[in-house]
Amino acid sequence: MPGPELLTVDGSTADRNLAAEIVRFTRSTTRRYKRSRISLSERFVDAYSWGLGIAVSLTIAASFVLALRNEIADRSSAGSSIIGEQWFALPESVLWTTVTYAFLLIVANLARKLGPVTVGGPESTWWLSLPIDRRPMVLPPFLRKVVLTSAGLAIVFLPFSMVTAVDRTPIGHLLASVTFAAAGVIAVALAAFQQLGMVRPRLGRAMTMVVLLACAVLPALPESPWPAALAGATAVVLLVLAGPRTGEVRSEELIRGGAVAGHAGASLFMMDSNEVLRALGAGRKTVDGGRAAGFFARPAGGPLRALIRADVVAFLRLNPPLLSSLLWLVACVAMLLVEGGLPEFAQLGIIVIAGCATASGMGGVARKAALVPELDALLPLHPALVRSSRALMPCLAMAVWMAALSGLLVLLGASDPALIAVGALAGIGMGTGSLRSATKAAPDWSAPPVDTPFGPVPRAQLGSLMRGLDVTILAMVPLLVGLYLGYTPWAVGMVQALFSAGIVMVAVLSRPKRA
Amino acid sequence: MGSVLEAEGLLVGYAGAPVCGEVSASVAAGEVLGIVGVNGAGKSTVARTIAGRQAPLAGDVRVHGLLIDPDAVPFRRQVAAVFDDDLFFPSLTVREHLLLVARGHSVADPEGRVEEELGFFGLLGRADAIPDALSSGQRRRLLLAAGLIRPSSLLILDEPEQRLDPMMRVALGVRIAEHARNGGAVVLVTHDPELLLATASSCLVIDHEVRELEPERGASIIAGS
Repeated sequence: MPGPELLTVDGSTADRNLAAEIVRFTRSTTRRYKRSRISLSERFVDAYSWGLGIAVSLTIAASFVLALRNEIADRSSAGSSIIGEQWFALPESVLWTTVTYAFLLIVANLARKLGPVTVGGPESTWWLSLPIDRRPMVLPPFLRKVVLTSAGLAIVFLPFSMVTAVDRTPIGHLLASVTFAAAGVIAVALAAFQQLGMVRPRLGRAMTMVVLLACAVLPALPESPWPAALAGATAVVLLVLAGPRTGEVRSEELIRGGAVAGHAGASLFMMDSNEVLRALGAGRKTVDGGRAAGFFARPAGGPLRALIRADVVAFLRLNPPLLSSLLWLVACVAMLLVEGGLPEFAQLGIIVIAGCATASGMGGVARKAALVPELDALLPLHPALVRSSRALMPCLAMAVWMAALSGLLVLLGASDPALIAVGALAGIGMGTGSLRSATKAAPDWSAPPVDTPFGPVPRAQLGSLMRGLDVTILAMVPLLVGLYLGYTPWAVGMVQALFSAGIVMVAVLSRPKRA
Repeated sequence: MGSVLEAEGLLVGYAGAPVCGEVSASVAAGEVLGIVGVNGAGKSTVARTIAGRQAPLAGDVRVHGLLIDPDAVPFRRQVAAVFDDDLFFPSLTVREHLLLVARGHSVADPEGRVEEELGFFGLLGRADAIPDALSSGQRRRLLLAAGLIRPSSLLILDEPEQRLDPMMRVALGVRIAEHARNGGAVVLVTHDPELLLATASSCLVIDHEVRELEPERGASIIAGS
């Protein structure tokens, strides 16, 4: 038997042709089979439904974006804001460049989690074991992903550019979108470099952060084709470097990426947010073996105390989202301090989004525990007590986070110091929302919609999708009222206490929904 | 003739925890190594590690003197493995799956070889069916056909007798023995004492301590006597 060979096979034309033929054979046979199963009328109906859905969604999105853009363009410098004392004005360009950078980092992170070079289940079984060049198997899907990612990012950035740069010309918006799309391709290509092992993991991550920081500045530059050309050229160079080597990605990496992508994709299709988060968090290294070990080892004074201790330690060990919580806090305040100010409703909306995102991150333990409810049933405790124990740490963490946010808002003159107490109480309700969200069942798409005067409404599915988010937003309502009023009357505090107590009772006493 | 497979101090398991004792064995061309043990002993884990599907905790596995690397072309060319992977291309028929493997391994006259394997495994009548339309036993036969249609110097089979009727099991035993007679080496994980006796030239019993025994002794362990 010959000696060790490179992963890229012998590189002969015959071998590459054989690999391409295998892929072509599989794909053409699959296409022929699918065409034979779907009639022309079914294809027409599918295309019409998709087209109609996309057109309606785009129309709604476009009208919302234009309305927001006009609102921002028309706002006066003395317009209303929840901020009373703007002791610091963050330049808009800095804020939006930071948001762009954060988005690019998310793209890079997601790309790495999902591959970006992958194979599906049957391909891993039937293709990877063949002694041929793997490049024809993995390169075309990788390039398709790159094209789709760039198209998607261009579409997503266009409204963002229209809302945040109202003075730009339409050509300027298009150029900014193209630049951002090219930056997204750079992020994916850098993820491919890391997957190929062309750079060490830490160096790869550092390089990605530096390169994407430079890319984030480009869309904000004055209207010129040069940023788009530079980003585009860089993206092409990186793809040319990575593309020919995609056949060298190790099979375990190909299969890992494919498994995560398949899992996340199926969960997204079923709109099961818990499962999406589990899929994307699957490969994360769990901190273990030391954090709060002493606390866990203390003798338990009964089953409830033992359970509370276990839930506290699980929360501390399962990588609680400290960094993302801080980032959301900073982002929230930065948005409020932007030069020129945002409309009041937009400021309140940002606070709601930041709160919901942070609360969602606190549900890790509850989501994992919800996978095996039978374990909780084994405990000699009432299920309500078990749920109370599970909600304890998320409530505490969210109370701290909301108190911090409220404190910052008080410093900015949004309200009086009583807002901090209201914020802490709101955090308790929001933390409970994360437990409620973690125990929701996946939407049952077989349930028929309910007829209403507005037409058929998928009530069961909406209820399932909104479960958890509903009480998280509800818990914030009194706080938002306090911010809107500019002061915090005692009635707001009372209502907040009642809301949070009610939410806790509902979440703890109600059984998790089963599909 | 040198060894096709050599395992030295091999420790297998998950998350750093071994599931069985150290495995040290060698299989030369023409030999069939049977691997037996109770449920959960670690037989499949050993087979998966030898096939390169998971990393060993300790020790070495060499095929033709080289450390195993499932991504290396020589390994893919020489080693065939049939596990319980019930994954198929949903739109490819039985015949098309086998054609894919035969062409990928540059088998001479792939269409003719495919027909031979379909005949041997009793799949001629289902050759144009997609995997979803097959019974579990037929899917098993398809996997075995895919493993045997291609050339290999090392064949790893993990409980190939599962879901096969008795006649097919006998035929499979004959086929494995023929593969060994033709110069191949086989690693056979099995719960079937008759299959073990019909094919194995040596036998490993997987447990907390791994022992090498005569196939007859291994068969009696499987049979529970």
